[in-house]
Amino acid sequence: MLLGAQPKADRDINAKLMVTDLDVYYGTFQAIKRASLDVAENCVTALIGPSGCGKSTFIRALNRMHDLQPDVRVEGEVVLDGEDIYAPGVDPVAIRHRIGMVFQRPNPFPKSIFENVVYGPRTHGQGNRKKLQEIAERSLRHAALWDEVKDRLDKSALELSGGQQQRLCIARCLAVDPEVLLMDEPASALDPIATSKIEDLIGELKKDYTVVIVTHSMQQAARISDFTAFFLMGELIEKGETRAIFTQPKDKRTEDYITGRYG
Amino acid sequence: MRRVVDRLATFLLWAAAIGVLVLLAFFIGYIVYLGWHAISWHFLTSPPSEVDAGGGIGPEIYNSFYILVLTLIFTAPIAIAGGIYLQEYARPGWFTSTVQFCAESLATIPSIVMGLFGLIVFVNLLGWRFSAIGGALTLTLLNLPALMRVTQEALSSVPDSYREASMAIGATKWQTIRKVVLPSAIAQLTTGVVLIAGRIFGETAALVYTAGTSVSAGRSAYDLNPFHNAETLSVHLWYTHSESLVPDASAIGNGSALVLLAMVLLFNIAARVIGRTLSKRLTAT
Repeated sequence: MLLGAQPKADRDINAKLMVTDLDVYYGTFQAIKRASLDVAENCVTALIGPSGCGKSTFIRALNRMHDLQPDVRVEGEVVLDGEDIYAPGVDPVAIRHRIGMVFQRPNPFPKSIFENVVYGPRTHGQGNRKKLQEIAERSLRHAALWDEVKDRLDKSALELSGGQQQRLCIARCLAVDPEVLLMDEPASALDPIATSKIEDLIGELKKDYTVVIVTHSMQQAARISDFTAFFLMGELIEKGETRAIFTQPKDKRTEDYITGRYG
Repeated sequence: MRRVVDRLATFLLWAAAIGVLVLLAFFIGYIVYLGWHAISWHFLTSPPSEVDAGGGIGPEIYNSFYILVLTLIFTAPIAIAGGIYLQEYARPGWFTSTVQFCAESLATIPSIVMGLFGLIVFVNLLGWRFSAIGGALTLTLLNLPALMRVTQEALSSVPDSYREASMAIGATKWQTIRKVVLPSAIAQLTTGVVLIAGRIFGETAALVYTAGTSVSAGRSAYDLNPFHNAETLSVHLWYTHSESLVPDASAIGNGSALVLLAMVLLFNIAARVIGRTLSKRLTAT
């Protein structure tokens, strides 16, 4: 069962990630209740919903970021290309190599711009200076940041503006060649101009990557996503093609949210 | 009325701060006033004298640094590794809280008690007699918890967002610690280590019964053998004022106090300078 009841006939869609009956608990509190979602390859899937609805919790389950917190328990299946990433014996480090994540607040390391971008390849054993330079240029170009920083790659990443820092974080993610990019409200800490740059970038990125984005802005979801999933109080209420969700929502709660009746 | 109270509070807090400053200035001034007559090249480099006037503190200065280095060699690896474990790896549970509790208990043991423990274990039980290594191991026990705490605090000042960013692109935990967390914490960690070094340099009670009150059993007073006596500067200061037979004991004590004070001050200044330069170099590249 693919996301979007009637996908456009001319678009060939494969499910890159298939989430089945996902439960996430913080201690005894259940933050995600039986959520199932298929994420289409080379598309942008937006997760929307009011604050505290579980959309961030959901996206963090997709590359096992919850493993880093002691009291979080995840149940259910998340299948990436036919392999359950929560199956015993699966190395979460290898999974995060294939499924990268960009966070709400830009979080570059206190290192140079260059060192930030090549951090991933370096940790995966790439030591060749020339190769690293190629990777840095390619990733920065891909993240639409190259022209702004090419003359100061050895300067501290912390000197960049917030929007540039966020694109640097995206470049840092791209440098390890992931297959899926998870973005947790990547533009919420940015001004409108920086936001629109990030949005343009996401439109470009889906040609090569599968993108899942959490956003609190419905306009943003409508502008950039192909599919949308609506969360409310830990439940995945409705999912489908973005246009369908925004024009004829099937569930009353989705309609209420979209028309601005909550949060 | 609230304005008056506000002003009064501001004044009292200001006065307290000034009070501390004045007190410190008075101490330093007094020690400098008493001690600076005694300072000479001869005093700083000669061995101490047992009976006659005119002894120096050269070997004591040397021993202070020697024991400091030994202590740091023993303390730093264990304390830093333990701190990394507690801050980055340990999950809450009985084991973690036991380790934490033991460290805190160890930290509250008075140094004289630690010194007597050293006397029993290193001097008598192991039969090392008074020795530099016995003193250094006693100081290791004394400073282990403090350095562990310093490590934990330095690591906890590194934002979690760095760790998340690193893990989210497929770095392992150890890679994250080594390449992101430690470089970000190194400035604060170094500052802490140097401050603790200042404390080790000034420690007295724990050394009187472990490293001894005479400078060396060897042929030279500047002696690398860790199993020889090693009276430090601060122990010498205590010794000259309480048990020494030399006629110029008080002048020597005053001079030693001044040198000790200058050294410890140097450690504090060094801590600030090193911390600042390191953090500049590592963050602004």
